[in-house]
Amino acid sequence: MSMTFPDSRIERVLHDSVEIQAAVRRLGSEITADYEDRDLALVTVLKGGVMFLADLCRAIERPLTLDFMSISAYGPDAAASVRITKDLDDAIEGRDVLVVEDIIDTGLTLNYLLRVLRQRKPASIAVCTLLDKDARRLADLPIEYRGFAVPDRFLVGYGLDLGGLWRTLPYVATLTDEVWSA
Amino acid sequence: MTDERLDDLEQRLPVSERVASIAFAHPSERVAAQILDFYRIAWEYEPTTFPLEWDRHGNVLASFAPDFYLPEFDLYIELTTMSQKLVTKKNRKVRRLKELYPEVSIKILYQKDFRKLLFKYGIPVRSRDHSEGGGLDADHGAAVKERGARDEGGERS
Repeated sequence: MSMTFPDSRIERVLHDSVEIQAAVRRLGSEITADYEDRDLALVTVLKGGVMFLADLCRAIERPLTLDFMSISAYGPDAAASVRITKDLDDAIEGRDVLVVEDIIDTGLTLNYLLRVLRQRKPASIAVCTLLDKDARRLADLPIEYRGFAVPDRFLVGYGLDLGGLWRTLPYVATLTDEVWSA
Repeated sequence: MTDERLDDLEQRLPVSERVASIAFAHPSERVAAQILDFYRIAWEYEPTTFPLEWDRHGNVLASFAPDFYLPEFDLYIELTTMSQKLVTKKNRKVRRLKELYPEVSIKILYQKDFRKLLFKYGIPVRSRDHSEGGGLDADHGAAVKERGARDEGGERS
């Protein structure tokens, strides 16, 4: 099937929608089996994790709740240290929390997030990521559920963006090196 | 983007008192420390020097001090933002370190890795001239901000 790219900076499709949905179903089945009779709360970080969370939660055949956080970004406009800019709406004490990530790269954000969530005394906390890019991993974190191991390329689509764009692509694509090496 | 804008961006990157107080050997090390500070990752700057070669009398002939140690992860990090010739020399040292100290975890970030990391965090970056020591500096160049990454742009965690 031919695919029209919306921008010349997009290099190629790394995982198409068929592959992604197959991974989502696989992960959903694993989570369904592992969380039998448990009080499951899915948590994701806005905005990138939304696409994956939306599909994953419907592939899990258990009662569960959804909640969202947002964390300040490092960069020119950043404060002195990372902080939560939107907190969870619901308490997680005593609940089984599954953090749903679109991608885990350096692990710095996830490390901070897990530290914050553990302080709230959940019954358990685990991580599910669609994409695992471990080439630049600095924080070695336990990842219980992973969709794909991905190469050290800049990726967009299915929640991943560049400057807010391309999140809505149904596939995950690599960008050309010129994007970041210019 | 104008030089004034780049200078303004550089000045607005968060810098802790600790980072400001350390004379880093290379600007890229300061930026790495800033990123670690931002994410509240404990770090030590060049805390350990590993002897790599000795003469017959036991005197140290060569040693290696990785740039950072992250105690939380028991991990050393070495930034390598130099020419390929120097990278080869450093690779050799790291290989030797791993042979002599197999219990030590160390990760090398090459110039390409570091450039990607800076891009990911939306930090303006420029390639330093050889006369300046080479490598990357975080004050000119690719100033594209990955806004999607709630914290790190389209790609985060």
